[in-house]
Amino acid sequence: MRSRTDHRSTSQRQDSVIARVRERRLRRSRLRQGSAITMNFAPMIDMTFLLLIFFLVTTTFERAEGILASKLPQHTGKHQASLPIVPIVVRVQPDGTDHNAFTISIDGFDAQPTTFAALTSVLLDIQQQPGFDNETPVVIVASHDLLWDHVVASWNAALHADCRRVAFGD
Amino acid sequence: MRHERRQRQTSSGISFNAVPMVDVIFMLTIFFMLVSRFSSAEQIPMELPKPEHSQASVVKIPERVIINCRVNGLLPAESPQAVFSIGPNQPEPLDVIARRLVAMRQKSPNLKVVVRADRRLPYAQVREVMRMLANHNIGMLNVVAHVDEKN
Repeated sequence: MRSRTDHRSTSQRQDSVIARVRERRLRRSRLRQGSAITMNFAPMIDMTFLLLIFFLVTTTFERAEGILASKLPQHTGKHQASLPIVPIVVRVQPDGTDHNAFTISIDGFDAQPTTFAALTSVLLDIQQQPGFDNETPVVIVASHDLLWDHVVASWNAALHADCRRVAFGD
Repeated sequence: MRHERRQRQTSSGISFNAVPMVDVIFMLTIFFMLVSRFSSAEQIPMELPKPEHSQASVVKIPERVIINCRVNGLLPAESPQAVFSIGPNQPEPLDVIARRLVAMRQKSPNLKVVVRADRRLPYAQVREVMRMLANHNIGMLNVVAHVDEKN
């Protein structure tokens, strides 16, 4: 009787061990299949491609635009008392028939700068003279047939010389 | 057996490594996103003045109106003629622009005027705009020029 019962118990144990091993294998295989969280990258890559094509098509490489501020001569309104400050009058006009050539002269000064960089240094020199500083008004009087590029360049030269009060004159 | 199966799995299809391509595309997209600046429709393409050591600064003016002064025609003649327009609008005569400006200034008194003029235009053409502004008591003039890239 005992031997029979022992035999049964050992066979039951073996069965249970086999069942456990099978269960473990099943778990492992399930884990292998479902452990890695998969992410579908295709829509993201599609979107990135679309964005890239959009930016490639729309982008234009241009120089940045800025603003130069100045005052305009006023024709209307009450006449104000003129200040006893002598303004620096810069006259710019085209030189002969060449549209790109120009001459610069400054009223009351002998210096005739040939470039706009030279105009900046001349204005800086004038500021060092007694009675002049960077608050002295600078009036740019440009000839009618002068290129707008040169008008802006002369204005820019005055600003580059740290002139605080730059205006256009008639 | 297992080893054979693995070999079959790896050598069965032509594999394509998309990772470097995706990396490059990402880099390009980020570059273009950072570099791109969406220009306003008001800024009609034209040749703007390019002064040496430009003192022009990028300023955001909230209440502004842009007057574009373009060269009339594709090939400018010896003395090019200007056409004037408010922002992206169709070219109009200066007196019409002046009337529009007056109406705009009634609505917003702090309106600033920005003049974008082609560098090839003679001063006399742009001066007409300046005179018109002065006649309407607009004392401040903001002129557009290219910004110095060194700054």
